[in-house]
Amino acid sequence: MPQPVTYRGMSLIVPDNDSEWKEYYANARQHRLTLRACKACGLMRYPAMHACPWCMDLGWTWKEVSGRGTIYSYETVVHAIQPGFKDATPYAVVLVELDEQRGKPTADEALRIIGNLVKPDAVTFEDAKEVAIGRRVRVVFQDLGESMALPQFTLTDEPPQGRVWQLPE
Amino acid sequence: MAMKTLKDKYCIVGVGETEYSRGSGRTTRAMAVEAMRKAILDAGLRASDVDGVLDYQGGDSTFANHVAPDLGIRLNFYMDVMGGGSSTEALIGLAMGAIETGMCNTVAIYRSMNGYSEFRIGGTGARAAQPVRGMDLAQVPFGMRSAGQTFAFTFMRHMYEYGTTSEQVAHVKVAHSKHASNNPKAIQKERVTVQDVVGSRWIVKPLHLLDCCLETDNATCVIVTTAERARDLKARPVYIMGVAGRVSKPRVDYHWVHGPISRVAGYYAKDIVFGQAGIGPEDVDVTGSYDAFTFTTMLQLEEYGFCKKGEGGAYVSSGIIELGGKRPNNTSGGHLCEGYTHGMSMVIENVRQLRGTVDDTCPGAAEGKHSYDYSVGKCRQVRDPEITMNLGWAMPATGSALIMRR
Repeated sequence: MPQPVTYRGMSLIVPDNDSEWKEYYANARQHRLTLRACKACGLMRYPAMHACPWCMDLGWTWKEVSGRGTIYSYETVVHAIQPGFKDATPYAVVLVELDEQRGKPTADEALRIIGNLVKPDAVTFEDAKEVAIGRRVRVVFQDLGESMALPQFTLTDEPPQGRVWQLPE
Repeated sequence: MAMKTLKDKYCIVGVGETEYSRGSGRTTRAMAVEAMRKAILDAGLRASDVDGVLDYQGGDSTFANHVAPDLGIRLNFYMDVMGGGSSTEALIGLAMGAIETGMCNTVAIYRSMNGYSEFRIGGTGARAAQPVRGMDLAQVPFGMRSAGQTFAFTFMRHMYEYGTTSEQVAHVKVAHSKHASNNPKAIQKERVTVQDVVGSRWIVKPLHLLDCCLETDNATCVIVTTAERARDLKARPVYIMGVAGRVSKPRVDYHWVHGPISRVAGYYAKDIVFGQAGIGPEDVDVTGSYDAFTFTTMLQLEEYGFCKKGEGGAYVSSGIIELGGKRPNNTSGGHLCEGYTHGMSMVIENVRQLRGTVDDTCPGAAEGKHSYDYSVGKCRQVRDPEITMNLGWAMPATGSALIMRR
């Protein structure tokens, strides 16, 4: 069993029998964002689930995606409850809609992934004042030891998608 | 397809609770015993009349088969259910089912928690020290663990899509604080203003401190039995018209993956519960919309059709949800002001509202004599309510509902 990775005071564990996350994080360590795609209907899903929620097929393959997307929602944590995040406040957590498979199989669906909004170095948290719904991001990988990396998101220069919105203060 | 219904065939006959405190200094077993004893006495029952017990918890409480024998209850049926918010209504439905099958006759349902002094909601303390693995890997490594952090995407997206403002939802806290000021049991009795709420410190944007409920030590209990049995008992029976339990959106584990995230479970639950009861939102006199946060009250009132989708902000800031308004919500002060109970206290309050015996400071409250003066420290009884509705919340993707009548 691989050793746990310590990150911000948390012990992150992906054991050998973790049939959801093991390959996802191994691929992330190679700086590849991969999702499961159904062998029957071809639709991707995140997080890695064991059956296709759209056609119930059990077969799947890992498919690499671009990691580009748009901030669909966000929050800014000002009062951290996890001790390892206290020195990082205020920090932004983003819910990113990937460009692939937007609006499929219904208009309300998309592939959505959670990450922190970080600088291009993948490690430093971005100024939380920069976060807004509609802004464009790309994935970057924060290496944690030899076997794991956290997919994070950083802002790009691309024009925003739709209306740009930030909580009025 | 028409919903199967047990409308008016079951009643809530007893309610009870401990003090709401921030430091009970005793076990969840001690508190559960006290709350259940009060509910049994409130109903005019004896221990031997209760033969079923249900409870819900998250590894933070005492099991039913430990609590019942302390009171001399011999069980024909018991079950401990995992879960927090939205469990009360769901377990009331399960109790009706257990009685309907003939497994037992009368069921006590309790929740007992040292939610402040022992197991706090945000995953701090003992829970925070556990390794992060499995489904937690999708959000915990990104500094997202507490209920507020997990729900905030939904709140923020609602503001983006519908123009809902912090000031609008602050009115939920304002209303509930008004109600709590007339509730001797409430932890936080001071009335607050919109400015107090939006001026309080940020926890996780868009939530300010006063948008969040009060972690509390307490136990609560309600007793369910048949309408036939209820008619012989001491208290005025409160009839169950409809119940929906833990109705969910297509994805519960990762609720932010699926569909429009500004939609909550009431979207699916409303047809079940209103279908059983044969009424609509306009027929409801008092609501108990779960206020883990100001936003959760607003989102549910909107999704169940008390206003149009997207107009929840306008609805909760219109005065309708305040005592003296058309349809008051959480007249006890709810989780935001009375204390956090994972939903049971809001059912208890509505039972008392329907009986006309809300425990305010009116001298004749226990006999149903009220002043209907809603100024500070006075009355919180609604005038002759006929139908109440509880909207239980576990998370954006899961909710329960209960419609009761007098």
